[in-house]
Amino acid sequence: MRTHEKFPGVEWMDGTGDFIRVDTTKCIGCANCMNVCLGDCWEIVDQKARLKSLSACMECASCWYVCDAGAIIFTWPKGGTGYRSDWG
Amino acid sequence: MPANDAYDVVVIGGGFGGSVAAKKCADAGLKTLMIERSQNIGEKVISGLTIPIYGFLFGPDFIRDGNPPIERPADGIINYIIKDIDSGDIDIDDSLRVPRPFSPVIAFGYNAYCKPFCQWQAQKAIESGAEVQTSTTVLDVIKENGAVAGVLLEDGRQIKSKIVIDAEGSQGLVAVKAGIREKYPPEAISLADTYDYEMDKKDVDRIFGYSLRFCWGWDEQKIAPPLGHGNGLMVWPYRNSVHFMQDHCLRLDGIKAPNLKKRFQEYHDNITSKLPWWRDEVAPKSSVRARMWEGFEIFVGLDSNLKNMPNHDNGILLVGDAAGLESTELCDGVPAAWFSADMAADVAIEAIRAGNTQKDFLKKYDERIKAHPIIQWSISGKNRFNLRYAQEKHDERLLKKCVHLAWGLGQLTHSLTPLLKMSFLFIKKDPRIITKWIKMFFRYYQNWLHNAYDYSEREQRVCDSGNRPKLGEMIFKICVGGLDLFLRILSPLIKILAVVGYHLSGLANPVMKLLLPIIRPIYLFLRKPMYPIGNWIAEKMIDFVYRADPSLFETTKGSGHIKSRQPG
Repeated sequence: MRTHEKFPGVEWMDGTGDFIRVDTTKCIGCANCMNVCLGDCWEIVDQKARLKSLSACMECASCWYVCDAGAIIFTWPKGGTGYRSDWG
Repeated sequence: MPANDAYDVVVIGGGFGGSVAAKKCADAGLKTLMIERSQNIGEKVISGLTIPIYGFLFGPDFIRDGNPPIERPADGIINYIIKDIDSGDIDIDDSLRVPRPFSPVIAFGYNAYCKPFCQWQAQKAIESGAEVQTSTTVLDVIKENGAVAGVLLEDGRQIKSKIVIDAEGSQGLVAVKAGIREKYPPEAISLADTYDYEMDKKDVDRIFGYSLRFCWGWDEQKIAPPLGHGNGLMVWPYRNSVHFMQDHCLRLDGIKAPNLKKRFQEYHDNITSKLPWWRDEVAPKSSVRARMWEGFEIFVGLDSNLKNMPNHDNGILLVGDAAGLESTELCDGVPAAWFSADMAADVAIEAIRAGNTQKDFLKKYDERIKAHPIIQWSISGKNRFNLRYAQEKHDERLLKKCVHLAWGLGQLTHSLTPLLKMSFLFIKKDPRIITKWIKMFFRYYQNWLHNAYDYSEREQRVCDSGNRPKLGEMIFKICVGGLDLFLRILSPLIKILAVVGYHLSGLANPVMKLLLPIIRPIYLFLRKPMYPIGNWIAEKMIDFVYRADPSLFETTKGSGHIKSRQPG
């Protein structure tokens, strides 16, 4: 189980699996995913979106919604993993 | 749970809608399984949460007659219309508040944390016989002969069922994967950035009381997300904490997705350091306990293509946020999740009994959704959306008008008809529902005062009968008991009147529109001088509720939570 100093009150359980993936052949490097992500999960390298870290992903799927190119594949993490909070 | 087992009903998601559907199906004797992806129910549900009162009045019986864990009753909204944050030029519209002495016992809604509330609901479903499987992600539905015939789990297991009720929430991944619905465009989705602040109860009582606080401002002030592209700042008082939420559409029409991380941070820092009541009163007494966020489908109801996406298919029914039923104006999703889950369960039960789970039978679910006065009203309000034009034109008059129509007394010019229609529909079914509603308000408030609910650690909280308000109890018994007797004796006549009232309800909105310009100034003028006496009565009422015999507020024997104790 992990916590994140910037986001108190939330814990992350390991073992999520690759629940967000990028199809680099489709990605146009528009950076929409990076812009809307509050968890700072994304970076743009060589004009392509790349997952930097899922350590503060809140599974909101915003990156999936804003990807016009359809390059982001979003599924739910493995059951019982990912973020959890008592304060939602 | 054995692999490849078969159920009558599989419910995807253990949130607000899922447990309602699971409980009702289990109550009807159907073999029901609810599957939840989080380790514990409610841990992935995020919201700033006032559940409006119509959810409790017209929602599932077990919630209305039960003792769910609430954080604080809400008596209405104080809107801060911020014209200039630096000079403190701020107008207030607090016209949509239940006045004293009715507040706080008669509530506008109830604030709640999602986790305990969802767990309370799930426990009720389990008690009814539903099975619950947590830590399990549903990947897809399985299909046989073109009909949904169960679900596929992440470990490859297939769970067969006659009907699947999909209550997976706003992203709707399973429904998209199953080809029933399409992914929403980012313009329809809002990201809600939420903070939870710890605060002593006495400070929450003193600063907020029972009222929510919403802030609306111009974009150049960087104090609240652009109007109509989300919400302004919203603050909910809980028992000993306050919830802070700002939200923003993922993208505005034709514009690149904004840098929300930067924007939210800027707005949060600005408003907490500049807004006088936050800076001077809240900030010194509070500390951040949690920060989290979640997307929700803010404007789906306003786009006819999105609104008309299917909510059912062969062997599957979609409920709540998964069916796009988020309110476009009040931001509430819970009442529609409760209503739709209740109706989906009814249709599932009917379909299984009739041996027909095909689309032609399940379409009655869609017909009921479309005929539901409150769901249809709540997904069609445009005032929050229209705020964007106020911003574009920097039109203060339009801003105040939209805020008043959405979160002020003007709300009644478009909500009165659906509220009355639902009331009359319920009264027609059972006139004595009126006494159940009254008792619900009192029981919920007493539970809140004692911080004691079903399954709570303080279950054995007792009420000392030596200190009971005997006179108040007698008056309550005579009034409510007398009303109940009256409703019982005149039931046939009241049912006829309810039918007439239902049909006349259509006039309520236009009549309110006509009368509000007269009623509003009189109401606001009288409210101030009437406050001292109203407040005095309210204090007496609070004392009465605190000390009264809990059985007074039970709708069925033993349904109350707080147990009374005999002296000695």
